Amino acid sequence: MRISEADVAYVAKLANLEVPEDEMKQLAEQLSRIVEYVEQLNKLDVAAIEPTPQVVTTVRHAVREDRVVARTGSSEAGKTVKLFKVPKVITER
Amino acid sequence: MNLKDITADRLVSLYRNKDLSVTEVITSVFDEIERTDKNVRAFITLCRDRALDEARRTDAKIAAGEPLDSLAGVPVAIKDNMCLRDVPTTCGSKILKGYTPPYTATAVERLRGAGAIVVGKTNLDEFAMGSSTENSGFFVTKNPHNLDRVPGGSSGGSAAAVAAGMALIGLGSDTGGSIRTPASFCGVVGLKPTYGRVSRYGLVAFASSLDQIGPFAKTVRECAQALQAIGGFDHYDSTSADTAMDDLSGNLDRPLNGLRIGIPREYFIEGMDSEVKSSIQRAIGVYETLGCAIEEISLPHTEYAIATYYLIATAEASSNLARYDGVRYGLREGASGGLSEMYQKTRMAGFGGEVKRRILLGTYALSAGYYDAYYLKALKVRTLILRDFQKAFERVDFILTPTSPTVAFKIGEKTSDPLAMYLADVFTITCNLAGLPGISIPCGVNSEGLPIGLQLLANHFQEGLLLQAAHHFEKTQG
Repeated sequence: MRISEADVAYVAKLANLEVPEDEMKQLAEQLSRIVEYVEQLNKLDVAAIEPTPQVVTTVRHAVREDRVVARTGSSEAGKTVKLFKVPKVITER
Repeated sequence: MNLKDITADRLVSLYRNKDLSVTEVITSVFDEIERTDKNVRAFITLCRDRALDEARRTDAKIAAGEPLDSLAGVPVAIKDNMCLRDVPTTCGSKILKGYTPPYTATAVERLRGAGAIVVGKTNLDEFAMGSSTENSGFFVTKNPHNLDRVPGGSSGGSAAAVAAGMALIGLGSDTGGSIRTPASFCGVVGLKPTYGRVSRYGLVAFASSLDQIGPFAKTVRECAQALQAIGGFDHYDSTSADTAMDDLSGNLDRPLNGLRIGIPREYFIEGMDSEVKSSIQRAIGVYETLGCAIEEISLPHTEYAIATYYLIATAEASSNLARYDGVRYGLREGASGGLSEMYQKTRMAGFGGEVKRRILLGTYALSAGYYDAYYLKALKVRTLILRDFQKAFERVDFILTPTSPTVAFKIGEKTSDPLAMYLADVFTITCNLAGLPGISIPCGVNSEGLPIGLQLLANHFQEGLLLQAAHHFEKTQG
């Protein structure tokens, strides 16, 4: 499937990216080539196949005891500064 | 003293016998870096003062007759996507400008716990996205064997540092070949352990179902020692596997008699460099003389691996990289314009072209209407790729392939065509999709003197077998 410049603009918005006008055309072309390449997966019938989001090996999933443990760094963040200055993030619409 | 002529175990024994002091060695390492790194450009940040402090402390321990840890005083280089407390972590990206972590990654902490001394943080493709280290947000690292060539990527800085004698051990991360490809191009050993073997706490996430940390070194034994130090369960990483690790160094010399090696016919593709091919065929012959049985096998879904990988990896990356928006880390742009503007301006200014391309592709693959057609389909094909390997490992103990279809390519050769760069990963990517351990070891040089890499893959948690097989091959290479 061809990716149009409008598609790029839409996906860029979803991804919080601002794509300059002069990069749109090239990005749409590059992404089209990649999407056309990955579409070779359509040759396979995978309707009955389970997905593998992660190869689960022997991961210890058990819930651990909730106890306080010393951890480097966790208490450092507030040591050098008394307060964290954050940007103003609430704006009027 | 040149690090090219010495291994970690030899260096520790020289320290133990007081033939060398750690301080003089670490000092000479920084002299070497000063001479060599202006050309190779492996390092983003050097840790000279703290390294020399640690060297003096280790010397004091030796003078006091204290027992030495396995990697005491061994100079190591860390890919700059792993945190080291109080040293900037850039991930090769301008978006992390000014970010200094208040903690150390588990793998780095464990390496230091074994006595190793971090000399610096190494260059990489931005957020580990690339196969050549040309996508770094700062500068291009060169291949020490030929400065016109790439070192491979994305862990090109660590591989080049080891190959050029600026560190004995390097840490890298491998999401689709990012340890094995640079090991192959730089003529060193690079090990990508089983998914879950090494904790990723403190590793900047790229694609969480694929990323794995592993070592580089000149020899298999040093890689075994490094993995022994960094591997094992860690309760700070919820994907960390609770599987016991063998005595990796102790088992290296076990004979290979009777082991079965599979040669996947799908990996001997058209377009493979003829010198790479003949070098791999020579290696197969070596394993025959070592008493292994060679068998042709089939991994029929190999041709779909790159497509599968570039959907899964970009989808996961688009999610993982959403956190870089000017609020918590590094760069912040456009804050006066309100939240949305700050997000967009920060991400636009901070991310390089390849990272943006992958975020867009991943966002597209996950977006409404395309999720089933792209992302979910890729996860299903991943199941088929995993089954190919499961079937193969019923018949063989390990699988032998080239690491890369070519030797190190020229700087700039593939930068204009993202897809051509992706295709360079054709032999390394399946291993990540299936969560397997893989190793690249040098198996010769081509007519221009450029290294060729041999890849071995084994079943989950069989790093011991992999290292043993690699070690025997290495011994035959003189």
